[in-house]
Amino acid sequence: MTVELGHFAVVIALVLSVVGISTPMIGLKSRNGTWVVVGRRAVIAAFVMLTIGMATLFYAYLTEDYTVKYVAATSNSKLPIFYKIAGLWGGHEGSLLLWAWILSLYCMLAVIIHWKSQPVVMPYLIMIESIILCGFLLLILFLSNPFERNFPAPLDGRDLNPLLQDPAMVVHPPLLYVGYVGLSIPFAFAMAALFSGRLGEEWIKATQRWTVFSWMALTLGIGMGGFWAYYELGWGGYWGWDPVENAAFMPWLVTTAFLHSTMVQEKRKMFKVWNLFLSILAFSLSLIGMFLVRSGVLSSVHSFAADPGRGIFILGFLVFMLLLSFGTLILRSGKLRSTVKLESMVSRESIFLVNNLFFLVALATVFVGTLYPLLMEVLELQKVSVGAPYYNAVFMPVALGLIFLMGVGPYIPWRKSTPTNIKKLFVRPLLIAVGALPLIYIFGVQKPYALAGLSVVIFVLSMITMDFNKVATFWAKRQKVNRGQGLVEAYKSNPRRISGIIIHLGVIILVIGVIFSSMYQAEKILIMKPGEEVTIKSFRFRMASLYSVEGINWGGKEALFDVYEGGEIIAQMNPQKRFYTVSQTPTTETAIYQLRMGHLFVTIPEVAPDGTWARVRILHNPLVTWVWAGGVLMAIGAFMNILRKTRRKRSPASESTGMLPEVTQKVAADVTAGAVQQTR
Amino acid sequence: MKSISAWHIFLLLGLFGLFFIFYQGLWGDPSALPPVIIKEPAPDFSAPELYEKENIVLSEHLGKVVVLNFWASWCQECKLEHKFLLALNKHYEDNTDFVMYGVNYQDEDRLAKAYLKQYGNNFEHVVDLKGKISIDYGVYGVPETFVIDKKGVIRHKHIGPIMGDVYSDIIKTKIDPLLAEGATSS
Repeated sequence: MTVELGHFAVVIALVLSVVGISTPMIGLKSRNGTWVVVGRRAVIAAFVMLTIGMATLFYAYLTEDYTVKYVAATSNSKLPIFYKIAGLWGGHEGSLLLWAWILSLYCMLAVIIHWKSQPVVMPYLIMIESIILCGFLLLILFLSNPFERNFPAPLDGRDLNPLLQDPAMVVHPPLLYVGYVGLSIPFAFAMAALFSGRLGEEWIKATQRWTVFSWMALTLGIGMGGFWAYYELGWGGYWGWDPVENAAFMPWLVTTAFLHSTMVQEKRKMFKVWNLFLSILAFSLSLIGMFLVRSGVLSSVHSFAADPGRGIFILGFLVFMLLLSFGTLILRSGKLRSTVKLESMVSRESIFLVNNLFFLVALATVFVGTLYPLLMEVLELQKVSVGAPYYNAVFMPVALGLIFLMGVGPYIPWRKSTPTNIKKLFVRPLLIAVGALPLIYIFGVQKPYALAGLSVVIFVLSMITMDFNKVATFWAKRQKVNRGQGLVEAYKSNPRRISGIIIHLGVIILVIGVIFSSMYQAEKILIMKPGEEVTIKSFRFRMASLYSVEGINWGGKEALFDVYEGGEIIAQMNPQKRFYTVSQTPTTETAIYQLRMGHLFVTIPEVAPDGTWARVRILHNPLVTWVWAGGVLMAIGAFMNILRKTRRKRSPASESTGMLPEVTQKVAADVTAGAVQQTR
Repeated sequence: MKSISAWHIFLLLGLFGLFFIFYQGLWGDPSALPPVIIKEPAPDFSAPELYEKENIVLSEHLGKVVVLNFWASWCQECKLEHKFLLALNKHYEDNTDFVMYGVNYQDEDRLAKAYLKQYGNNFEHVVDLKGKISIDYGVYGVPETFVIDKKGVIRHKHIGPIMGDVYSDIIKTKIDPLLAEGATSS
């Protein structure tokens, strides 16, 4: 019965989303703010209903109720509790419900947080978010219902895909969804700005933290996915340019561009239409990503089962959202003319412009690569698969350019800078970077791309160090503290800048990790019997033994390796070959030993049935831990940005452009009045 | 709205182009089209045989028509085609210019052997546990069958089980003509 309760709750949530769409419209038409208050209540109630829906499914998982089709497909009585819960997002239906739930959570939080400060936005925000929610709930209830029952019920579930039975995989999808869905908030604010005609800087200021938060979640989600692929799939690599990875990477690229270009609008009131465009594009790409992953148009390692009915619905929804948003942008942005022009090509705003162009080129690269196979298919040309060589060839130069800009953008002055100015800023770091080249070469790094990458990295690092040194000294003098505390003072006085630079540092660390782990990776694949040895770089691997092991829901073989370096044993590693009994799937469990910030990585993809030999794959990935350390530092930087204290500068009526339609002003007044009533 | 700028038109054209591609894409099957690999030289491999542990090397069979069938014990459709595969190999039993290999794709040896015991076997099988050979051949899913001519060039690929009409067709129009070709003629 509980699952039916959840099903019913989701049906009510659908009705509430329709209320959320219609009441703000009526409110705007009839100039009556009470309607918007009704919309607010609908949003909150929808969240409660969806939470009930989620809770009943969790209950079904925990009580092993395999009469529910979806539960039976993604769980099993032998699963540990942790993975029973994760089963909810182990398939198409449940993960959609999670999407919808996160969406309604975001919407509720945004409405509550901005209710008083952004009254004009509220009706539009409620309306836009409810439209998205309504679309998702229709898809869930009519085409991908996780509450459906199964008669007769199977005795036990078919088990969660063993590849997903992994801690990183439990958090990876929710993090990504938090990122994707979070982009709907800046999107809704941008739409509200277009509809209401309040096209100033206010929507950007209000949504800055939401955007950074979504960006942080996307960064962590993508990183976690890479980590999972690295050791669970046993690739030995963390990024494969798979369509699904690209689907997450594309919104990330646009959001990063957006976070940079909004700074220009805040400081210099430029790029107004561009910013509206980017915020719409970012959310559109997360919808496009969903279409690509769930409709079966592309083949990928992680795509969900294809179903043309679902594909058509998602496409219809996508067409509606994209035409609505980009159409509004076209119709309404005519009013916007940037009043400020670029004064000089040598200025921070022009660097930001180049930065945005680079990001868009990067996006185009990934977009074309992802859709190329589909395009070829539609044009009935020969089937191709676009792989890593294409991306490496096109993406790497763009990435290199973007990294270089990290050393320029934050330090060059706004408006205009003089040649002496430039000399003073950049000559020393450039000399350091060029001077370091022969040293790196002698040190053993001799591949052209690695050399180019490292010298750019050194340039940026010396820029960052010089700048940190300067601000730390300044604040240390001013507050009469030491320079470490000086840096803390600098963060307090300009948190956005310092947290931004910390994110840049994270990127630099990640790039160093990528350069070394991809270009200096060593690999050996061979058949080994117990007692045999193999040498890779300075390491000697000896297979000590090969034996059977058993887990709760799997059985398999394990090998024990003694690893020697220079005659001394430095580690024992035991990779496994597992076979999950319920779902009848084999998996390869990696053994990883961390050494000098790199990894020794061993898998046994194949074991002889009689247990006498195993096929062994050994990798040495130097500095690979820097990839994730960099990712974590990026997230920390973003978190510092979100946690900063806002300096409250009240700028209410003066900010409004005077173009504000009378209707919205009236509603705004009513909404505020309504809010006051509510709080009583 | 005062004027229509160029970027408005580009944006709309781009959107509609995208919608068109997406819509068309829905009706296609991403794995159904011939890959570029047809008419290309067959990627060589050297991998252990399922029973012998002796490596099978594809390039050693230049001058013969080679049929490669990718299969796995966990694949339901493979079971449907299996008796046709046995018949196919039997059909060319006396032809020394013909050789057929199964490529056992991401499987467990134990299960593969049990499968062959149950459904019968009259040809040799290459073990492709990591899916390396399958990736080289662009295999999306099992079963898939490749026909390689005497010069070592892939001439035909079939996705899905070989049975019924497909079976007689592959003998008459694919394999027989290739057997008739000389190893040196074009």
